[in-house]
Amino acid sequence: MAGQAAAAATHPSSASRFFHGRLPLYFSAALLRLVFLLYGLWQDANSPVKYTDIDYLVFTDAARFMSRGQSPYDRETYRYTPVLAWLLLPTAWVTGSPFWDTVWFSSGKVLFAAADLVAGWLLERLLTMGGQGVPPMDGPRARRFAAIWLLNPMVATISTRGSSEGLLGVLVTALLWAVVSRRVTLAALLLGFGVHFKIYPFIYAPAILWWMDRERMSGFSPGSRPPFLARLTGFITPARFQLALISLTTFLGLNVFMFNFYGTPFLIHTYFHHVSRIDHRHNFSPYNTQLYLTSAFPDLSSLQIESVAFLPQLALSCIMIPLILAKKDLPTAMLAQTFAFVTFNKVCTSQYFLWYMVLLPLYLPPSSFMRNKTLGICALALWVASQGLWLQQGFQLEFLGKSTFVPGLWLASLGFFLVNCWILGIMIGDVALQPKLP
Amino acid sequence: MRERITYLQKLGSSLPPSALTITPTSLTGPSVSAIREERLTFALDELPAELSSILKNDVHELHVRWVNPVAYESVGAMVARVPGGWHLFWTPVLGKESQKEGGRGARLCEVLGGVFGVACGGEESFTKLPSERFYHSAALQYFQPLEGLGRFVEYAKGKLCAEEDGDCVRRVDALAEASALDVSYDSISHALKVTALWAFQEQEIRATARPNVRTEVGVLSDEKTATMEDHELGVSGLLTVLGQDEKPSATVFSFPSRHRDAGSGFEAEFVQVGLHPVLQLKLGSNKPPVEEAACATHAYFTFPRTIFADRYQLSDDLFLASKNLTALRYISQPVDLEAPEYVMKTWGSAALLELKPPAMDDGKAEESWTAEVPLHLRYLTPSHGGYANLEVPYPAVFWACNAEEGTKFPTNPFERVNLGYDGLFGPRTVFWHVEPRPVSGGRVTSSIRVPVLDLDKAGWVNVGTAAVVLLGFAWISWKLLSVYLKTGYGSESRGSRTSETRDDKKRQ
Repeated sequence: MAGQAAAAATHPSSASRFFHGRLPLYFSAALLRLVFLLYGLWQDANSPVKYTDIDYLVFTDAARFMSRGQSPYDRETYRYTPVLAWLLLPTAWVTGSPFWDTVWFSSGKVLFAAADLVAGWLLERLLTMGGQGVPPMDGPRARRFAAIWLLNPMVATISTRGSSEGLLGVLVTALLWAVVSRRVTLAALLLGFGVHFKIYPFIYAPAILWWMDRERMSGFSPGSRPPFLARLTGFITPARFQLALISLTTFLGLNVFMFNFYGTPFLIHTYFHHVSRIDHRHNFSPYNTQLYLTSAFPDLSSLQIESVAFLPQLALSCIMIPLILAKKDLPTAMLAQTFAFVTFNKVCTSQYFLWYMVLLPLYLPPSSFMRNKTLGICALALWVASQGLWLQQGFQLEFLGKSTFVPGLWLASLGFFLVNCWILGIMIGDVALQPKLP
Repeated sequence: MRERITYLQKLGSSLPPSALTITPTSLTGPSVSAIREERLTFALDELPAELSSILKNDVHELHVRWVNPVAYESVGAMVARVPGGWHLFWTPVLGKESQKEGGRGARLCEVLGGVFGVACGGEESFTKLPSERFYHSAALQYFQPLEGLGRFVEYAKGKLCAEEDGDCVRRVDALAEASALDVSYDSISHALKVTALWAFQEQEIRATARPNVRTEVGVLSDEKTATMEDHELGVSGLLTVLGQDEKPSATVFSFPSRHRDAGSGFEAEFVQVGLHPVLQLKLGSNKPPVEEAACATHAYFTFPRTIFADRYQLSDDLFLASKNLTALRYISQPVDLEAPEYVMKTWGSAALLELKPPAMDDGKAEESWTAEVPLHLRYLTPSHGGYANLEVPYPAVFWACNAEEGTKFPTNPFERVNLGYDGLFGPRTVFWHVEPRPVSGGRVTSSIRVPVLDLDKAGWVNVGTAAVVLLGFAWISWKLLSVYLKTGYGSESRGSRTSETRDDKKRQ
């Protein structure tokens, strides 16, 4: 332990007073969100261009339907679990006083912003706990890295505009925290709920299951390597069984419950929509242009891209990355899984970046990007620049009416994809380079 | 079969009876500036078999409204406007849904496709009209742009004119020049009314009688009489029933009319390109047509499925006010906000927007003004060259004013009903129409160039995407493999490959 603290101290730290106690960081993070929230209210009230995300209007409309005893799916484009609309029920409260109506209407944003803060706090906890990848840190240093999330203006903007992705952040960090602190039941509940809430957290199941081996969970370490067959049957441990059973029960239970209340529209909008969507309005996905082409001429293409695009995506995020990385460094494995899932997805918008951004503070401290500043800055610059190039092409299409689909947007999305792959490759390589712990 | 032919001139241009020459089979007269309307009423058994069969079996009520996308001038009682294109309003016969395979909608569309050359497909392409709204309206709506009546002319010539009936052929051919065509049927009257309208222009008065057809000819002009009330229109002129009257009888009459001329015009033009274009309506006047009544300016749109208005965007008062809009009063449901055009089944969407003219302050002169309608384009089928040209019909723009309490609007001889928007208003509403005027040329449509995927450049998309995805996948797999080769899949972070076989020195 002492050695680890020393190792941490060898990193040059700004050691500012700011990170010394908890209060300044969390107060600033809360203040940042409050300022954004109030600014948003002002802009919404005074400008025809709204600060509030269009999705927030979808959620709150759905909550309003619900408060009248109707289905949230009566709101077009509501593609989420009813849980979200339940959480936002206070936004539908009408008191008659404009002030309180505004407060209640904004309560969802407050919830999302609070979820940001909790996620940040869990990051701090995880960093001070340490893991295989990261040596335990002292509080100030942990807070410095948690600040990547807590003081990130992009994160604060997204949650105060009313996007629900912040809830995912807290779910995933809580899941990771529950796993590494060996709270199997809690982890299973969070996993089941997370998949019900947004599907994609299912990719974490193989990583967590693989990580939970007998040695780790019981501290028992076999003196010599058991024979192959014993290793195979030995895979099924009480902890793994417990995780699988409880998470599956939670997931299915929630779905049966929701299906009971809201019937087929619940299944269609929450799940099937995401499978069958041919929503190819331009987005960052490398498949975007190709999907446009094949959806317009379904008869001409011999191979349905939709039906094979998931293969590299799932092979990486559900099999290869968990198998090779999870036991070595669970947080980085989960980060790499999410990164691969988003990068190889058929649809990719900037909100999805939040899914992996929340895990970055756990990976960055000992990473190549931090050790080699040039590499770090290069990676960030390339990530931003390739995205900027795409956005510029997208702007030309969307607002200037130029047909930039090919080659502009197409090449830009492929460029962004390759940059992401390059970053992911370094991330993966880092797992083998982690400093060996005493 | 009955026939009514009406020439309607403007106020003050009446014709003396002596100007008309009447024989038992014809009426001729001088050249006049008038709008011409011809209305034929058919009994079911006078119609082609497939038409009468579908009307009898599947139709409770049916209205086709076709309007030429080329601007036309109208007069007085015939001023009602509808967006250019082919509109269908249909109420199916109740309780017959499961009668036959294939569906009523598909059968109706097949027959109407043969008659008009439209392609409505089936019932899934229709939108439902609000039945609980104030006024009577049909149950289902369909719309598509339709350039002309060419197909209808061929159909009518083939099915209705005898082989050597030159007069019939000539009359049907004239439909190619018509500005509007209304076809209405309901199962109560069992009669199909076909009404064609030719724009206000210089034309010779000429009508011929046909055997077994009662033909009534009116040569009329707008009239203002002393006894007329505000909500009434008047006409005067000469009425003749061919084969029955030897000389025309003079007539003056007035009637309440729900459709009036507001006396101003508007233009519609796209002012912002891209995938979220803005349609700007330039209105010539902000002066309400009547002062004592409550009036509001409205625009009724029929958007083809390529383009749509987002009702959620149009629900914010601040946003609406910045565009000189008051509210979205009606939009057909559902409007898919995401789907590309080529997977859409519904025809498109109808929308009624209330516009917000600048207030008429006391003593201030009327002024022209604009309202802006934010719209969204769907993805369209890829094309060679990377662009598709769209034409969106002008909306029908009118002031809707409330007539006095107790005013009744019985059907008048020139009334047009089931126009799409009339059913959205109360029964005492008077529509003061603002004339659609072309921005350039003669068409009352707004054109926009839409960017689509350019097929000329898309040759590498499939191969290129696959290659790049494989490259990315290979790089990541290689990195994973090298981690595996260095440290295996176990818990060890670093060390040689032999760490797998050597004694596991367990982790921290």
